[in-house]
Amino acid sequence: MLNFIARRIAAGAVLLVVISFLSYLLLSVPHIDVGRQLLGESASQSAIDAKNASLGLDEPVLRQYANWFAHAVRGDLGTSWFTSEDVGQAVGNRLPVTASLMLGVTAVTTVLAFLLGVWAGVRRGAADRFVQVLGVVGYALPGFLLTLVLVLVFAVRLRWFPAIGYTGFTDSPSGWLSTITLPVLSLSVASVAGVSQQVRGAVIDALRQDYVRTLRARGLPASRIVFKHVLRNASAPALSVLGMQFVGLLGGAVLVEQIFGLPGIGSMTVTYTARGDIPVIMALVMLTVVGVVLINLLVDILIGWLNPKARVA
Amino acid sequence: MSTGRTLRRVLRNPLGGLSAALLLLIVAAVLLAPVIASQDPGASSLSEAFAGPSGDHPLGMDSAGRDILARILYGGRTTLGGALLALAIALALGVPTGLVAGYRGGRFDSAANWTVNLVMALPAMVVLLASRAILGPDVHVLMIVLGVLVAPSFFRLVRGIVANVRGELYVDAAKVSGLSDTRIIARHVLTVVRGPIIIQVALVAGIAIALQAGLEFLGVGSGSTATWGAMLNEAFQNIQRAPRLILWPGLALGLTNCALVLLAGAVRDALEDQTPRPARRRRARPAPEPAESADSAAPRAALLSVRGLTVAYARPDGTDKEVVHGVDLDVRPGEILGLVGESGSGKTQTAFSVLGLLPEGGRVTRGSITVNGRETAGLRERDHRALRGRTLAYVPQEPMSNLDPAFTIGSQLMEPVRHHLGLGRKEAADKARELLHLVEIPDPDRTLRLYPHEISGGMAQRVLIAGAMSCDPELLIADEPTTALDVRVQAEVLDLLRRLRDERGLGVLLVTHNLGVVADVCDRVAVMNAGRIVETGTTEQILGSPRDPYTRTLLAAVLDDAPARAPWQPREARTVTA
Amino acid sequence: MSRTARTASVAACVAASLALAGCAGESGGAAGTGSSTLNIATMTLPQSLDPAVATGSALPYFQAVYDTLIKREPDGTFSPMLATEWTYDKTRTHLALTLRKDVKFADGTAFDGAAVKANMERFQKGGGASAKWLADLKAVDVTDATHVTLELAQPNPAMEFYLSDAPGLMANPKRFAKADSLKTTPDGTGPYRLDKTRTTVGTKWSYARNPDYWGKELPYKNITISFFDNETAITNGLKTGQINAALLQTSDQQIAVESDPKVKTEKQEFDFQGLLLFDRDGRITPALRDPRVRQALNYAVDRDTMLDRIRQNRGRTTSQVFGPETQAYDKKLDTYYAHDPAKAKSLLKQAGYAKGFTLKLPRITAIVNDALAASLQSDFKAIGVKLVWDTLDGASAVQKVFKDRQYSGMVMNMGQSTSDWAAADELVTPGAFNMFGTTDKVTRKLLPALKAGNEAEAKSAARELNHHLVEDAWFLPFYRMSYLHVSDGTVKISPQSGMAVPSIYNYAPAK
Repeated sequence: MLNFIARRIAAGAVLLVVISFLSYLLLSVPHIDVGRQLLGESASQSAIDAKNASLGLDEPVLRQYANWFAHAVRGDLGTSWFTSEDVGQAVGNRLPVTASLMLGVTAVTTVLAFLLGVWAGVRRGAADRFVQVLGVVGYALPGFLLTLVLVLVFAVRLRWFPAIGYTGFTDSPSGWLSTITLPVLSLSVASVAGVSQQVRGAVIDALRQDYVRTLRARGLPASRIVFKHVLRNASAPALSVLGMQFVGLLGGAVLVEQIFGLPGIGSMTVTYTARGDIPVIMALVMLTVVGVVLINLLVDILIGWLNPKARVA
Repeated sequence: MSTGRTLRRVLRNPLGGLSAALLLLIVAAVLLAPVIASQDPGASSLSEAFAGPSGDHPLGMDSAGRDILARILYGGRTTLGGALLALAIALALGVPTGLVAGYRGGRFDSAANWTVNLVMALPAMVVLLASRAILGPDVHVLMIVLGVLVAPSFFRLVRGIVANVRGELYVDAAKVSGLSDTRIIARHVLTVVRGPIIIQVALVAGIAIALQAGLEFLGVGSGSTATWGAMLNEAFQNIQRAPRLILWPGLALGLTNCALVLLAGAVRDALEDQTPRPARRRRARPAPEPAESADSAAPRAALLSVRGLTVAYARPDGTDKEVVHGVDLDVRPGEILGLVGESGSGKTQTAFSVLGLLPEGGRVTRGSITVNGRETAGLRERDHRALRGRTLAYVPQEPMSNLDPAFTIGSQLMEPVRHHLGLGRKEAADKARELLHLVEIPDPDRTLRLYPHEISGGMAQRVLIAGAMSCDPELLIADEPTTALDVRVQAEVLDLLRRLRDERGLGVLLVTHNLGVVADVCDRVAVMNAGRIVETGTTEQILGSPRDPYTRTLLAAVLDDAPARAPWQPREARTVTA
Repeated sequence: MSRTARTASVAACVAASLALAGCAGESGGAAGTGSSTLNIATMTLPQSLDPAVATGSALPYFQAVYDTLIKREPDGTFSPMLATEWTYDKTRTHLALTLRKDVKFADGTAFDGAAVKANMERFQKGGGASAKWLADLKAVDVTDATHVTLELAQPNPAMEFYLSDAPGLMANPKRFAKADSLKTTPDGTGPYRLDKTRTTVGTKWSYARNPDYWGKELPYKNITISFFDNETAITNGLKTGQINAALLQTSDQQIAVESDPKVKTEKQEFDFQGLLLFDRDGRITPALRDPRVRQALNYAVDRDTMLDRIRQNRGRTTSQVFGPETQAYDKKLDTYYAHDPAKAKSLLKQAGYAKGFTLKLPRITAIVNDALAASLQSDFKAIGVKLVWDTLDGASAVQKVFKDRQYSGMVMNMGQSTSDWAAADELVTPGAFNMFGTTDKVTRKLLPALKAGNEAEAKSAARELNHHLVEDAWFLPFYRMSYLHVSDGTVKISPQSGMAVPSIYNYAPAK
């Protein structure tokens, strides 16, 4: 097991280096004139050149990357070109926001999607149609519309939750909960809709398995068969979907973060990428890769636990 | 199943038909945009901005004084065209590589997997924004990049299924019969993956359409081209001034996505559900009518007695299809009754009726089944369940698929005894060990800790028999218990059954097509053909001097050494055993 | 601040074109009467808190911790701050400043003449976006601790303005040795100090009152400035009271807050929106060399409808680039070009372009929304001119427009300075916004007069110049846009003349 994890992490490290290189190239291609953006359109060319030189932008891209890499491996991710933040700190400050969202959505999705999916898959009939309609509607509803409605109704009109901002969990657990409730809700609808369909399908598949009939033939109660055997067997495919959903949230969070004025990774990615703030973007890229690698690893370990056949030696 | 049948099935599903019609309508409207729309989507008359619906502009005007209808129609071209583009790229990249990687494995598989991991770990937003900066703000550029980014999902899907299927019997058989890899992939493998691919296609199309809107919202848009996303964003910018602008693009987007998901669901159901799904009539299940068979005069056996049993399956149109037509059977304690017949003769349906475990849609429509003198036809599920395990037990045909792969042998053996006999963990473990001993498994302690995939087929069948015997039942219903086993193991299992009969006075209903098995262990035989019992008698009678022509045919087939059953069968076709 | 600050903020905006609104964003704020904290929301980010890179649009971030030499009041007049008096000599090339003597930085370092010299020289060479403002500064002569004289290469009527803006911010010179440290740890004499523990650079800056402040303390104990990337979040925050003050630019969000009875609003016209025609020498689009063509374009545009439909009438149409607070402003010029396609066509015909021509312009969707893009296209089409939009990302737009000079013009939101010279210098002197260096007899004569002349000369030069620019159609202004300073009802905001963002001093609890 440890060996497996070590190998996966090593593979992840290689991936990290390759992606960092590709990303640096990709980000350098548009030749965004950072100095000119910083100094404004009326700055003189010499001032702009000096600024670019001070940022190291006068060097060849490969040299720039080597420079960045040499610092990054020592844990120095540099300073934002546009706001002078320490990149490590900047990302660190925003990570809890997005992490809270993602964990919240994952928790809500796991619970609701499994409940709904199992209900639909086992009962079929009206329950099934209800869950399917829910899935379709949740899936087809434009995300921002739902988000706007939630803000206007529950924050602006009813004042149950704050309309904007984020409170750290360590500052105030209740404040944390109230600031992330609406964002998590808005993100969860689509996510529950998607995953519950997967759970439903997996449950139906599992119910059709021969061993379910055999278990019934042994006189075991249906509830026990569903919650012990069917659920466990249906969990593995559902879990892969949940894992992908989690990764997808990294991107999906942008819209919600903007509308709720949450200083998270998602909106940071968009804002800083548009500016071409390479040190910050690179840190975000690294963070994403690490996140994806870890999540995939976690999902694989969980699936191995659920499904011994998939276990690695 | 043929494409035509799939299509009919999809269309017969109300939601499937409706969503297909809706999608067709949308596509047709979008294609006919120049005919339907009265003006160019870009034509603007600012003084008419925000104007409501009128004769010339049935949906009104947007914030720039452009005809909303024209923009919805022309915008649909870009939006749907873009989604198609993304799909085409994702399919072209993901499916062939997935097929090859899954089928061939090896180095190509490793390389492809590595690449896929790389693409999946890329932060999509950064890649989209950077590509846009490099290639320009064009919706097609975004869709091409999206296609590349979602291609891994197709790859993984296809690769996973193909890798699973690669080891399946029918692919092996196709290999043995000398088909080329390409033909095997085309004929067998593609059939298996097309269902999941279709569903994924619908999902990805939905994502592509939604993503266009999301990117517009973030200001990363399509420039001046009309798209539904751009319209939605424009409506959002003016949501206070003219909230109704959101209606049409929202509707177009929402309905298209709805229709895509529903259609995908219908296609999946059509491809996967070979059994028609009847309306479930859980509570209002009519009780079986009393038997009217002429043979019902014969005295009924104490342990199991079946009279005039008919079984029917509901068809989607509401009518019933009868598969068993009035069967009479008797099993006494300490007796093995062989129920013999070809596939499809109704013997398995008869066995399931006794257990009360007919597959979805099937039910006993007439007749009587008594177990220990108690009528069980039409019994409530809960009461029937009480009989299973302690009175009735079941040994299935295919050992591997009848063990839950996620739990150890020990846990699966302990579960019924803990439930029925109320044993504690330790006593249950002792009992499980004892059971494995009973079915002559060496080293029971080690076996208890193993998972099903870690034991052989013969061992698994013994474990299943042990499981069936765990609560000391009186009647064992064994459905082809030896068919999947090789000859030596087959003989051992039959020995075991014989021993259980002799030592415990167990009654056995042995469902089989194999007359050799019958000759070996059965006391009496019932021959079944086309849902009817054609002949019943002692083994000697039936094998020695068969009266019914069908029985004679069966016997002749054994003598000719022709297999009574095809050597392999695609898994799909096995879902319903009859 | 207006012009150049505007410039910088346009740049920043262009860069961050993801913002929903056009450029210019700043905000004002108010604090709850009961609350001691003022929460201001803004859409502008400072590059750092080092005054060397300060720009006008981000000025409030700096004003909290640094004082300027001269204070600019809400009405645009100047009053003492770190400098108590300032006088020009007759040649208007020597500006003598008298400094306060009781002012100290946090570590006890005294603020004195040497500090002024060190700060101004550092600003001049600091490579900031506004460094060029001190281009005319030849030397800073320190007479003694409380007296310095700024020696100018040539008269500059905007000098006082500069000293009340970024170049006037005074930091502790002891920190200059380790220059980078000022970026995140500012050190000034201002009314607040940065509360680093509650500050998250990039999203939220928290300031706490400076207990040793030399002047009259401001009404709020704490001020936070939060950055948002869209106005929807700001509007919702205002409605729930989580934000006390902000500036809203888009008409839709303005409508959204006005529906809330608690919210208080204050209108201000600061930015004008228009098409800056750079290519008056016809290098890219030869037709534009003929003033009649430029006039025709001006006649072609239906400003009233645009203002009504695009800005919901929130603003005022105009044909001139000078704002109402300048000397150059002439009310009559607001309506100089009325919508007249027929006249436009005949002008084109006279100029030899009866068949029209093609005009390619860059489009940054954050500034040129769909309605504006479509209406300009159809207005121009009506007189036979084909307008082609090149949609650009903010970042590449700056490059393509200002460095590569690929376009004949650009639709921009420009701040309107209260200083005639500042406005003229930005738009008419060859430079960023006169990138092809167009000059003519009139501008060559009037610009120097405006810069160096006495008050009366400057005034008449300004008026004359304005008339010339309008009649010769150097630009194609659409309208001045009214922005809304919004508070949640607890704050009274005084708009700052010539600046989209109120100074940090302009907030007080509402009575």
